[in-house]
Amino acid sequence: MTERFIHHVRVELPPATEAAAEARARLADKFPRTALRRMTHLGLLLGSTLDGVPLTPADAVVYASSYAETRALEDFLASFPAASPLLFQTSIHPGGVQQVLIGRQQPVARLWPLAGGARLVEQALLTALLEAAPCVALLGGEERGTWLLEQGYASERAFAFAALLTREPVGAVGRVTFTPVRDGADDPCPNLVRLAVALADRTALQWHGAGGEWSIVWS
Amino acid sequence: MVSRMGEPADQLPVGLEACRCLTPFGGAEATVAALLAGQRALQLTPVLGRDGGDLVPLALMGPMDETLPPRWLPAVHALAREIPAGTWGAAREPVVVTSSNFGVGSMYAFTRDRDARHLAHGTPCNTVELLRRELGWGAHVHVFSHACVTAHLGLAHAARLLHAGLADRVLVFSFDFVSPFVAGGFHSLKILNGGLPAPYAQRATGSIGLGDGAAFAVLSRGAGPFRLMGHALHNEMYHFTGNQPDGRGFAACLKSIAHVIGGRRVWIKGHGTGTLEAGRLEAEGFARQFPGEPLVSWKGSLGHTLGSCGLVELALAVAAWRGGEIPGTVGGLAPSFTDEVALAPFAAARFDGALLASNAFGGAHAAMFLTHD
Repeated sequence: MTERFIHHVRVELPPATEAAAEARARLADKFPRTALRRMTHLGLLLGSTLDGVPLTPADAVVYASSYAETRALEDFLASFPAASPLLFQTSIHPGGVQQVLIGRQQPVARLWPLAGGARLVEQALLTALLEAAPCVALLGGEERGTWLLEQGYASERAFAFAALLTREPVGAVGRVTFTPVRDGADDPCPNLVRLAVALADRTALQWHGAGGEWSIVWS
Repeated sequence: MVSRMGEPADQLPVGLEACRCLTPFGGAEATVAALLAGQRALQLTPVLGRDGGDLVPLALMGPMDETLPPRWLPAVHALAREIPAGTWGAAREPVVVTSSNFGVGSMYAFTRDRDARHLAHGTPCNTVELLRRELGWGAHVHVFSHACVTAHLGLAHAARLLHAGLADRVLVFSFDFVSPFVAGGFHSLKILNGGLPAPYAQRATGSIGLGDGAAFAVLSRGAGPFRLMGHALHNEMYHFTGNQPDGRGFAACLKSIAHVIGGRRVWIKGHGTGTLEAGRLEAEGFARQFPGEPLVSWKGSLGHTLGSCGLVELALAVAAWRGGEIPGTVGGLAPSFTDEVALAPFAAARFDGALLASNAFGGAHAAMFLTHD
């Protein structure tokens, strides 16, 4: 069995109707004014979940998002034929977390941005458990699309979460474990918003996948 | 899941059972032959394809305009036929897909044609679902996307899965095909311009080219003639499109991979896109950490294959080493930023290994050490 202890959890689950401008006003005190005006909805929410969380250059970040910078992507496409350089660089995964870390001038040893689908949560957790850094920030989130949402290719809501995973049990609020098992069919894997809700509500999760049994439990 | 006390799993060796690529020149051997002959695949092409625009250097496997099914699918099928048999996508034989573009060209096509069928393979997860269906992979397909260091992440993740005992073999598959989306983006940054790239050359204006590329590697814990001995990663988080001006980001990554290399003689395949500031910092960083070791870039011929460049260029390094001669910096010009920049091909025999490095937006750095028995 491999385990990591959860030491910090913060989740942003604003109303589905929240616009980026509303988030910018709501979270203004968490960001430098110069950075604030350029940040996307997802970047703002991720920044809020990491607000006050100390990271060091020896730490690692695992970042999961199926759709990532949806609004920058939509707006960049709309900018053609005079393509916008700012929207181009912002639209590239993992732009959401880079906005936050560059704003903080926070180097990290390793950044693992995942962009999967049905088993994204499991793969992000596995990536975090395989990481040798003393502290791993597990981040995730999406932002609500406009025309891509109408077509069914974007998230219906914006949200973000951060959980710090370490090997230190003292002071932990929860625990992630993975126990390899040779046999057994995969269960459906919780999706990203399901994980965010579980982190917010301190709900236990258990499932089988990636060749083992997963559990997230709370103290 | 750390295999030895205090030694991260991605600094432990894995064997390369197979490693192949596809470029506009063809497979790995054909591409190496073209590089040794100094040929460029880059051709001046309208930046927005059929929508026109400035002429920029692109190395394409066909017209850039997106099609239904997507234009990259036949090339992916052709490459996939070379993948050794396996239960790919099963829990013990997972697939790691790495790309920075996935099917984003289809999103651009939708905005032009309003044909919603393009969107069915526009997002990363939908693109990978199409790959899974087409190539018969199971559910365990890990997807990474970290701009131009993506393939390095996939290879490092595969090494971790193997050394944790969670996989018997791992297939790392990478593909990036140029579209008006990405060409227009780099053109807007003014680094994709009318000039052909001259990696590591001291000149007045920098320029890059972009290229189509796809590649795969099958990794296992078993020994093979070619082995990846370790990986180093570092993220500066100084600026979206710039590096710390003193080069400390490059130095941090190279110092880490130098521990894996030890005192062995290496040749170096750098990132070398053709930009001036990053090219200078990179070349100087290599010269400081590995003085006297030859440095090459192949992006002056093939263009920058973006998130796939790490794996495409790994396949080329393997093929070149097999043939005994390493291509020089095609398109390079004297004077270069450092004396180590090799413009002409050289013999592989006197080296113990190759250091392969890539960089990305956000000051991301990646390096891996390849050896050959």
